[in-house]
Amino acid sequence: MIEAAGNAPEEVCILDTEASPEHLSRGTARYADAMLCVVEPYYKSLETGRRMAALAEDLGLARVALVANKIRDERELEAVREFADRHGLAIAGVVPFDERLPEAERAEAAPLDFAPDAPAVAAIAALAREMAGSNGAAEASGS
Amino acid sequence: MKLAIAGKGGSGKTSISGTMARLLAREGHSVLAIDGDSNPNLALTLGIPPDGMSDMPTLSRDLLKRTPEGAHLVKPLEEICDSHSLVGPDGVRLLVMAHPQHAGTG
Repeated sequence: MIEAAGNAPEEVCILDTEASPEHLSRGTARYADAMLCVVEPYYKSLETGRRMAALAEDLGLARVALVANKIRDERELEAVREFADRHGLAIAGVVPFDERLPEAERAEAAPLDFAPDAPAVAAIAALAREMAGSNGAAEASGS
Repeated sequence: MKLAIAGKGGSGKTSISGTMARLLAREGHSVLAIDGDSNPNLALTLGIPPDGMSDMPTLSRDLLKRTPEGAHLVKPLEEICDSHSLVGPDGVRLLVMAHPQHAGTG
């Protein structure tokens, strides 16, 4: 299914994957150009991201990077940076902690409709531009 | 570009997936968003109301044919998208892999 989706006529295909890393060992993301592992600044989340990134690299994806999410301050960002450096991982984007996102969810609305001017939405826009610009394969080593 | 978004449950991967899909569509890309989570809720972050999802037929196992080389779709993806996906705000096409309300069919 995922393989076929790679041949879809759409220019951009975004796959929101299963939360468990198990699916990656079955090769579900093999046909992707790039994988973003979304992590929060605490150990279990970072460690899950690292495992997923390692599996994605095993699958031969051209670009694998972390996205630091729900970042409250410089200290949390530094924790993610330190972890990424230690494991040789790139960080493709940093999304700040933003109360507007859980608010959107409570209102059963898309973040983009509920809070288009939210800082987190602006950060995701920067990430989208970054990924579309690099087109996945162009920068194998990440940023 | 085929982009997979991964992360621990609750990490915010679905909010990021859905918002990126909408923003890339606004920039003029045609976008296919696939919800591969067995607890799917990408529709919400794309701005598709929950009741809009209930009409969508489940992707069944009949669509896959297993051979020694692996699994293959029995129909072209375009055909499956025509009957099993819907188009949300900004023209993002959503395909959902699993529906948790049907127990025992996975």
